[in-house]
Order: sequence, then structure tokens, then C-alpha cells
Amino acid sequence: MWLPFMGLVIGIFLGLLTEIRIPEEYSNYLSIAVLAALDTLFGGIRAQLQNIYDEKVFVSGFFFNIILAASLAFLGVHLGVDLYLAAVFAFGVRLFQNIAVIRRLLLTKWSNKQEKIEKN
Amino acid sequence: MKNWSFTIIALVIGFMIAIQFQTVQEPVIRDTRDEWQLREDLLKEKELQSKLIKEIQSNEEKIAMYETERAQGKEQVLRETLEELKMEAGLTPITGPGIILTVEPDFAEIVLGQPVVSVSPELLQRLLNELNKYEAKYISIDGNRIINTTTIRDINNETTIDGQPITEIPFEVKVITENMTKAGKLHNRMQVSKSVEEFFIDNLRVKVSNPIQEVTIPAYENKIQVRFMEPIKADKGGS
Repeated sequence: MWLPFMGLVIGIFLGLLTEIRIPEEYSNYLSIAVLAALDTLFGGIRAQLQNIYDEKVFVSGFFFNIILAASLAFLGVHLGVDLYLAAVFAFGVRLFQNIAVIRRLLLTKWSNKQEKIEKN
Repeated sequence: MKNWSFTIIALVIGFMIAIQFQTVQEPVIRDTRDEWQLREDLLKEKELQSKLIKEIQSNEEKIAMYETERAQGKEQVLRETLEELKMEAGLTPITGPGIILTVEPDFAEIVLGQPVVSVSPELLQRLLNELNKYEAKYISIDGNRIINTTTIRDINNETTIDGQPITEIPFEVKVITENMTKAGKLHNRMQVSKSVEEFFIDNLRVKVSNPIQEVTIPAYENKIQVRFMEPIKADKGGS
């Protein structure tokens, strides 16, 4: 359980240490990719809590979502339509839903524990 | 085992977030240069500026060189010829010395009760013939340029020039001659011209202006249709 969290912390640490900066033009793509990645991450956490986690789905979803989001943003820039907003919207909504589901799952788990403690 | 992929992906996400964070949080660089450093930087920029100006100058020189080369080339000769031909055909507006004839109703006749209908095409044709006889070079009637193929006809009781009706009387006939002396001669001849006198038949009067240094005649507006002329195709091995 703690391993992924550690991974996240180490990743942030490494990123801050390397001092890599993306040119202004591409920061749009990176931001949308980050959003897609976050969505996938929370989706994975939810799936694990619901015991329907599948590694293939998770890994493929991670890369596919990032590529899709970045290419949507790219297409939007070249068509003059802010298509990346579509990706932001879709991922934002899913992010909220995933987090809500995670919260409910954790709450039920917690209350179950409480009940068990009371029974004992 | 299944946690490994999760961990690696979390690591990648963390990395991406950190980079994005750094990109967005561009630190504000404070300007800590003192006066002499500023002066040095200014000097550098000025050097760059003078270099760029020199570059511009050399480029402009090149442009001028190309222009002169082009002007002396064959293309320019062709272009000039084309322009001359266009002028000859009446496709360009022309300004030159000439006279202006104003055709206006003769009020002394109108009092008698005969309405002024219009100027007849025969009268205009005759006037044109006479003008051409006395060495007029370019002529326009009521703002319509007269060229070789111009038609002056009666269509539904309206006198038209190339299909454009002359509706307003008075109207002006502008004539350009080669030079001022010829304009003067034309003026004298039109004063005693027979065709001008014949305008009285239509209750009209022609006022002949003194020679003017600058008369402007508009270009021919319609398309010149060439129906029966064809370019000669050169035979093989000869002209």
C-alpha cells in the first residue's frame, strides 16, 4: 500500500532535483498529460479498493490516456479549436467521480471496522 | 508483484508533476547589474544594432542592383511595349493638352416649345469624324472613351455609346491632341466647323473651350472583343 505512495514522493523529489524545464509552448501538453496520469492513478486506486484491479488495463490506460490527451491538445492547437478543454473536462469529471467512489469505499471500510470493534 | 507497475507509474506521475510545477513556477530573475555592467550591455546591444543596420544596407544595395538589372532586361522592353499598346488601344486613362466641347441645350430654341429629346447618333458620328480629321488623338464622349470599335447607335430612342446611354444634356466631349499648338488649331477649326453648326438642328449648342493644358480622358471600361482576328501561327522552320 505504501509502495506507490513512496514512488510518487520519490518521483516528485527526482523531478525537483533534475531542474528540467519544458519550453512554454509544450507546457500545455504536459499539463494535460499530468491530468490524464492523475486520472489513471485515481482510477487504479479505486479499482484496487473495489478488488477489480487489472494490471494490463491500468498500464495500458495510463499510456493511452496520456497520448490521447496530448494528441487532442495538439490537434486543437492546429485546428484553432481549444480541444484540450474537452480533455480537461473529461478527465476532471472522472477525477471527481473516482475520488468520490474512493471516499465512499474508505468510509464504509472505516465504519465496518468501528462496528466490529463495538461488537467485540 | 502487482504493486510494482503501480509504483513505477506513480513515480512517473510524480516526475511529471514536479516538472510541470517547475515550468509554471518560473523564478523571477532579479536585475542586479550595476551601472557599469548596464553600460557594457548597452554597448553590446548598440554594436548589434549597427551590425544589423549594415546588413540592411547591404541588402538594400542588392535590391537596387537587381532592380537596375531588371530594368535593363528584355522583360522591361516587352513590358514597355505592352504598356504602349495598351495606351494605343485605349485601355489606360490619358492626360494631355486638348479642348473640351460642351454640348448643351439652346435655350433660345426651347422657348419656342420644342422639347430637347436627345442628341442623335448621326450628329455625334459626324462630330467624331471631323475631330479625327483635325488630328484629335484621344476622344471621350460623356465619360466614355472612344476607341476603334466603339459603336454609337440609337437604341430605343436613346443614343448610346458602347451600350451606355447619353441621358444627361449638357455633356462634355473631351479631346486630346498631340501638343498645345495642335490643340489651338483644333480649337480654331471647331469654331467654324460645319458639324458643330448642325447641332442646331437638334436644338443643341456646342461650346468650344479654349485649349487646355491638361485634359484627362478615362480608360475604356468594357472588354475589347476580338471576334474575327486570329494570331498567325508560324510555319515550321520559318516565320
